[in-house]
Amino acid sequence: MPPTDSIEGLSFPMIADATPSAEPSEIERDVMELFDQLRNPLLRYAHSFGIPMHDAEEVVQETFLSLFRHLQLGRSRKSLRGWIFRVAHNLALKHRHAQQRLCEITVDDGTIAERQLDHAPNPEQQLSFGQRQSRLLAVVATLPEADRSCLSLRAEGLRYREIAAVLGISLGSVSISLKRSLARLMRAEGR
Amino acid sequence: MLTVNAHPTEEEMLLYTDGELGSRRAAQIRAHLSACWECRARLLEIEATIADFIRTQRQYVDSQLPPIEGPRTLLRARLSEAASKPRVRSRQWFIRLTFAEITAVLFCTVLLILAVSGKYLFHHSAESTASPFAAPSWLGTVPNPGLTPGATRTVAVSDVCSMPHEEVVAEVSPQLQREVFQKYGIVDPQPNDYEIDYLIAPGLGGTEDIHNLWPQRYTSQTWNAYVKNSLEERLHQLVCAGKLDLSTAQHDIATDWIAAYKKYFHTDRPVPISVQPGSPSSLVVRS
Repeated sequence: MPPTDSIEGLSFPMIADATPSAEPSEIERDVMELFDQLRNPLLRYAHSFGIPMHDAEEVVQETFLSLFRHLQLGRSRKSLRGWIFRVAHNLALKHRHAQQRLCEITVDDGTIAERQLDHAPNPEQQLSFGQRQSRLLAVVATLPEADRSCLSLRAEGLRYREIAAVLGISLGSVSISLKRSLARLMRAEGR
Repeated sequence: MLTVNAHPTEEEMLLYTDGELGSRRAAQIRAHLSACWECRARLLEIEATIADFIRTQRQYVDSQLPPIEGPRTLLRARLSEAASKPRVRSRQWFIRLTFAEITAVLFCTVLLILAVSGKYLFHHSAESTASPFAAPSWLGTVPNPGLTPGATRTVAVSDVCSMPHEEVVAEVSPQLQREVFQKYGIVDPQPNDYEIDYLIAPGLGGTEDIHNLWPQRYTSQTWNAYVKNSLEERLHQLVCAGKLDLSTAQHDIATDWIAAYKKYFHTDRPVPISVQPGSPSSLVVRS
């Protein structure tokens, strides 16, 4: 099935079918608790890589399955939020890479790949936004990927040290990146 | 030093508003802001831009987010399925063997153990007293250096550190797991007893090579697989923080992982996971 932004066609199991026969373990409950807290932030972050929403949803699912295995092996619970975003970051990159490979194989002219990596709103979406918001989103879309990731992670409430750990960069690089991005956004707003 | 008249830089203003400055510098900037209208106006512009960005991003992306109920149900089902399976990186292969294969492997391996390591059968330890045919007491705590000297690949620190330690741990193939058990003369490994462990973890540049794999006991009372996992994670953190050379980490864990644990955890006994620094008992995500 070709990648799409639509979530129709996603097959979620019926609740009755999916109800586990045994009581969930403490680790399962912990993971579900974190899922409730972080699913939307992670979904937004994964989607910021330009992958379709249903693929981003799969990234989030895989992230929490990794978390389950992580906890099952008795590994560290230190800085779990940063750990979770780091795993989601890597999985999102992997998904995007796989998607690009698929597009290279199936589409010679590369138009699909370009469309999927375009973060800016399309003309229809622009209609539903004011000019200023559209301009802001367009500026975000043109940021270098590392800057966009920094900005997205900060927007999700991560501290600088967590962002540095997720992206594998220094604390100084995080603040420089955020300063650069905000300066561009301020210019776009005429400030 | 920042004086009252020196305007903070844009970066400092951002760090200040994000609460990322040290308390002393933050107090200096606060004092400056109370005296400087110009900088207060700049700060408000920064805040206004952040507010605009957040509002726009949420309005644009949140309208596309599917409801959480379906994905939550799917994840719960997947977790339930994962919980019912045996642990990864461990013995799933023997479940797939036929009865004849199991019998043949058992018979040959028992003979091998009797012939090669008979002298260990008379040794008793707290970790291996269940059966006279049990594996020797040292087995499962430390690898046999002759069989498992360790094997690494050429890798840059940046590659090793680009992914979380756990994410670079690949599942060992059933065939390779079988070969490792055979090499160590272990018959009928019980569920939850062993982990086929990388001596040098992939997160430290170790490879999925029979010379880098050994059967480590989960059930050893002191130096078990959980303890070694903690060491691997600690070494990975030290290497990625630039506090330890990757080749030193590889050498130390391959030579004597227990000594390495004592060295890097500064203790003679394994630190219980529940009391390790930064191991909260609950999973509340803090901002």
